[in-house]
Amino acid sequence: MYMIRALDIYKNFGHLKVLKGVSLTVEKGEVVAIIGPSGSGKSTFLRCLNRLETIDKGMIEVEGEIMVQNGPDGKAVYSDENRIALIRRKMGMVFQNFNLFPHKSVLENLILAPMLVNKVPREEAEKKALELLEKVGLKKKANNYPFELSGGQQQRVAIARALAMNPDIMCFDEPTSALDPELTGEVLKVMKDLALEHMTMIVVTHEIGFAREVANRVIFMDNGIIVEEGIAKEVIDNPKNERTREFLSKVLRI
Amino acid sequence: MEHFEYVLKILPPMLEGWKVTLTLFFLTLVMSLPLGTVMGIARLSHFKPLAWFMEFYVWLFRGTPLLLQLLFIYFGLMTVGIRLERFPAAVLAFVLNYAAYIAEIIRAGIQSIDKGQYEAADVLGLTRFQTMTNIILPQVFKRVIPPIGNEVINLVKDSALIYVLAISELLRVAKTAVMRDETFVPFIIAAVFYLFMTAIVQQFFKWVEHKFDYYR
Repeated sequence: MYMIRALDIYKNFGHLKVLKGVSLTVEKGEVVAIIGPSGSGKSTFLRCLNRLETIDKGMIEVEGEIMVQNGPDGKAVYSDENRIALIRRKMGMVFQNFNLFPHKSVLENLILAPMLVNKVPREEAEKKALELLEKVGLKKKANNYPFELSGGQQQRVAIARALAMNPDIMCFDEPTSALDPELTGEVLKVMKDLALEHMTMIVVTHEIGFAREVANRVIFMDNGIIVEEGIAKEVIDNPKNERTREFLSKVLRI
Repeated sequence: MEHFEYVLKILPPMLEGWKVTLTLFFLTLVMSLPLGTVMGIARLSHFKPLAWFMEFYVWLFRGTPLLLQLLFIYFGLMTVGIRLERFPAAVLAFVLNYAAYIAEIIRAGIQSIDKGQYEAADVLGLTRFQTMTNIILPQVFKRVIPPIGNEVINLVKDSALIYVLAISELLRVAKTAVMRDETFVPFIIAAVFYLFMTAIVQQFFKWVEHKFDYYR
C-alpha cells in the first residue's frame, strides 16, 4: 500500500525550472532518502509534497486522497482547502533550522498544535508530549526554552513536536545540515529509531552513511530530475549513473 | 524662602495642568496601542485595498506635523460643521497620529519574524489567525518594546503641543505664570515634572524588557 504518490511534478520559480517531471511513490513503512547536490531541487520537491510550495503541473496523492492534479488545461489544480488541511495532517515536517517556537517552553512547543488543531485536552496532550520527550531523550528539558538547548537537542524536540500530531508520514528537510558534526549523531539516532518502528519517512539529506544504513531506497536528484534510484546500498555502493558516481565521490571524498 | 513660598503658590495650578497632560497621555496610549496594532496587521493584509489604505494613512499622519493635525481636527472640521470640544479634538488627533507610528513599528516587527515560524505553524495545521495570535504576535511584542518605549517618551513631550488649542496643560500653565510673575521658576518646575514622567516611563519599559528575558 502506498502512502504518497507524486506523478510528473513540475515547478518553476519564475524562469528557473526547479522540478522537471519528478515522480515518486512511497510505500507504507518505507524509508526513502533523497540525495543530490545543492540546487538539484530535492528540498523543493519535499516541500511540494506537503504544499509548502505549490506545483505548476503534476499530481500528488496521499493515502488515496488527491491533493493536487492536472486540470483540463494541463495545469495543476489543488483540492479545496479543508481537504488539503486534512491531508497535510497526515504528514509531519522537520526543518533544517528546527523552527521551534522560541517563546514557548519545550513542553508547550509539543502540546500547542494538538490542543489548538486536534482539540486534545491539555492533560492528555501533556502526557503524550512527555512520552515523546522520553523517546527522544529530553524529558528533563520539558520546561526549558529552546535557546537553552543545543542544536541537536532542539532538532530532537522538533521531531517530537511533529510526532505529537500522530503523522503517518514524516518528512525531513536536511535535518542535520545546520548542526555541528558532533551533534548530528544524536539526531540521526532518533530518526533511525523511528525507522525501526516502521514509520514512513522521506529524508532529504547529505548524510550518505545514514542513507545507506537506514533508508530502504535512495533517490539521487540532479538538475530538477531523478537521475538514479534504487535500493540504498546498491545505489551508494555501485552507482550506475556517471553523475551519481561523481556526486558520491565528492561527498564521500574517496 | 521667598522662592519656596512662590513654588507652593504656583504648585496647585501646575498640578492641575499636569493632570490634563496625564489624561491626554493615558487616553492616547490606551487607544493608540490597540488601534496601531490592528493597523500594523492590516498594513500587511493580503486584501490589497486595505494594505494600500493603511499605507496611505501612515503616510498622511507621519508626513504632516502633529501640530497641523491638531489644528486641522479642531478648526478644520469646524469649518465643515463638525464641532468637537477642544480636549476630545486633541485626544483624537493624538490617537490618530500615534496609531500611525505604532502601526509602522508593529508592521516592521511582524516582518522581522523568521519565515520558518510561519512554516512550522503551517505544517502543524494552525490557521492563519492561530498563527498570528499564538506564534507571531507574542514574539513581535517582545521585539517592539524598545521602539514603543521611544514613542511613549515622545508622547510625554508631545503632549505640550495641545497648548495650540488653548488647553491648559502643564507647559502652558508654566508659561502663563512665567509671563505674569516675571520669573523662570515655573519652567524649572515644569522641566522637573517632565523628567519625572519620562523617568517613570523609562523604568517601566526597563521592567517590561526584563519580564521578556525568559526567552531569546
